[in-house]
Amino acid sequence: MKKVSIIGAGNVGANAAFYIAEKNFADVMLIDIVEGRAKGKALDLMEAAPVRDYDTKIDGSDNIENIANSKVVVVTAGHVRKPQMSRLDLLEQNAKVIGPIIGKIKQYAPEAKIIVVTEPVDALSCYVWKKGGFKRNQVIGMTGVLDTTRLREFISKELQVSTADTTALVMGGHHDYMVILPRYARVEGVPITQLLPKERITNIIRRTREAGSEILSYLKTATAHYAPAAAIAEIAEAIVKDSKRLLCISACLEGEYDVKDLCLGVPAIIGANGVEKVIELQLTLEEKQEFDESMTVISEAVKILEE
Amino acid sequence: MNKVSIIGSGNVGSSTALYLAEKKIADIYLIDVVEGLSEGKALDAEESAPIRKYDIELRGTTDFSELAGSDVVVVTAGIARKPGMSRADLLNTNAKIMKSVSEKIAQYAPNSIIVMVTNPLDVMSYVALKITGFALKRIVGMAGVLDATRFRYFVAQKLGVAVGDTTAMVLGGHGDSMVPLPRYSTVGGVPITEILSKDDIDKIIERTRKGGAEIVGYLKTGSAYYAPAASVAEMVECIIRDKRRILPCSAYLRGEYGIEGIFMGVPILLGKNGVDRIIELELIPEEKEALHVSAAAVKEVIEKLEDLEIF
Repeated sequence: MKKVSIIGAGNVGANAAFYIAEKNFADVMLIDIVEGRAKGKALDLMEAAPVRDYDTKIDGSDNIENIANSKVVVVTAGHVRKPQMSRLDLLEQNAKVIGPIIGKIKQYAPEAKIIVVTEPVDALSCYVWKKGGFKRNQVIGMTGVLDTTRLREFISKELQVSTADTTALVMGGHHDYMVILPRYARVEGVPITQLLPKERITNIIRRTREAGSEILSYLKTATAHYAPAAAIAEIAEAIVKDSKRLLCISACLEGEYDVKDLCLGVPAIIGANGVEKVIELQLTLEEKQEFDESMTVISEAVKILEE
Repeated sequence: MNKVSIIGSGNVGSSTALYLAEKKIADIYLIDVVEGLSEGKALDAEESAPIRKYDIELRGTTDFSELAGSDVVVVTAGIARKPGMSRADLLNTNAKIMKSVSEKIAQYAPNSIIVMVTNPLDVMSYVALKITGFALKRIVGMAGVLDATRFRYFVAQKLGVAVGDTTAMVLGGHGDSMVPLPRYSTVGGVPITEILSKDDIDKIIERTRKGGAEIVGYLKTGSAYYAPAASVAEMVECIIRDKRRILPCSAYLRGEYGIEGIFMGVPILLGKNGVDRIIELELIPEEKEALHVSAAAVKEVIEKLEDLEIF
């Protein structure tokens, strides 16, 4: 059985373990520096296995060496936002948290595909890529899968159609800086631009952009963790099962969309080799402009890290 | 528990029963005029329930009164195509079968939704409509879902991507005159026109158009039934669970796309009431023309039908 390690056993990490267990495609190693936290959550999950019918092993540890032999390593460790904070406010403190983790991944699981979840995702994916000296296909930022699952949910609510038939593409930076492409948002192939009036699409886009903050404003002391965890499990499954899914993720770009040395949201084929191919869409001038603006924000964040 | 009856326990009917059993969404009744055929297949499927973990009821019978209480009636009864036989050749035999089956449905399951599978299905749906007098939205034909699943499989194969990320839109009459719409066929929302060459798309369209014949060519004594049954199960699940999916299905048109008074493959919103809404896509002139050619082909067969004097 293939192995997925999750570093950080908080809400997002533990729920990712839960979704992966339910999908029954990989053993899971939960890692957290807080003693007992990963172990306890893993044991709790295993005790549900007889009822839920999964036969994979879920284990927990405070020793990061246990990520050895992982096909996938998920990095969720780090601080989360408090209300009114922006994700970029987390940049420096979370870079400090994951700095040492990058070294450990390089040491114990150098071939693993790394799914970066810690905010701000695009900048920290770039940090993992450059600091760890990983191949660019190895590093995947979890961004667009989350943004699109939210967008899809809102589309299906608005139209009262099955979520399963909706598809959506978002690009650029995560959350506030995302570029939503309504003409690529579809219900069973039919663009929503043919199904919904413009102002309702604008409302949906606005809500998607602020969806993380919407949850945070309800929960107050925690950020969203179900949809993010579901998105992690989706990407991990595509890698483990080599499913060649077309997913929106933050990829290390080397010239695609005229971007170099930066991680940014794009549609890509995800399989056993991680980011196997970046799909280059034919963007309109307006979309390209929006994308470039988003890029500028992320590239400034990365510059701060470099310093 | 909801109830789905399947009339015709041949390969398509019984495979549909199996796919539906695996989905665990309704009790299933297989009905066939051939003594023992339904009973045997239903029992065989029930005996796999302990391993496959479904707890729905599966029954086989020759008694059409067992249709009573069905939420959905799937009609697969009829003779299948032999090699070299066109769908239109099936017309005479199947129209007569359809007349008698429709009378039974109207008698025993007057509140059901009919999913028509028997070919030529755009025409068989029309027969069922005339004989049962059902509301228009309660008769829906299975065509586009099958054409689309084949199209999607070929696209996924060609691009080496996950089939689950593909969508396809196929309009028009089922069979040779179908109208695939590459602009509305996507991988994760990206139209295939952006990621496949025109030549590759043309090849995929051609193969999809002849998808049924390709299988008949291999099997010789039978036609495809796994993909058709999977498509039926998908539609039935959509109705039973009121999933409100947009699926390409054969629906009765009253002026949509400029077509009147026949069943044709179009995207519909399918839910617990059947055809909830017909989606009118923006078509380019070329696509519109292909759709009208397809409609003319269906109309022509219906005219032949009038000569049979079954109504």
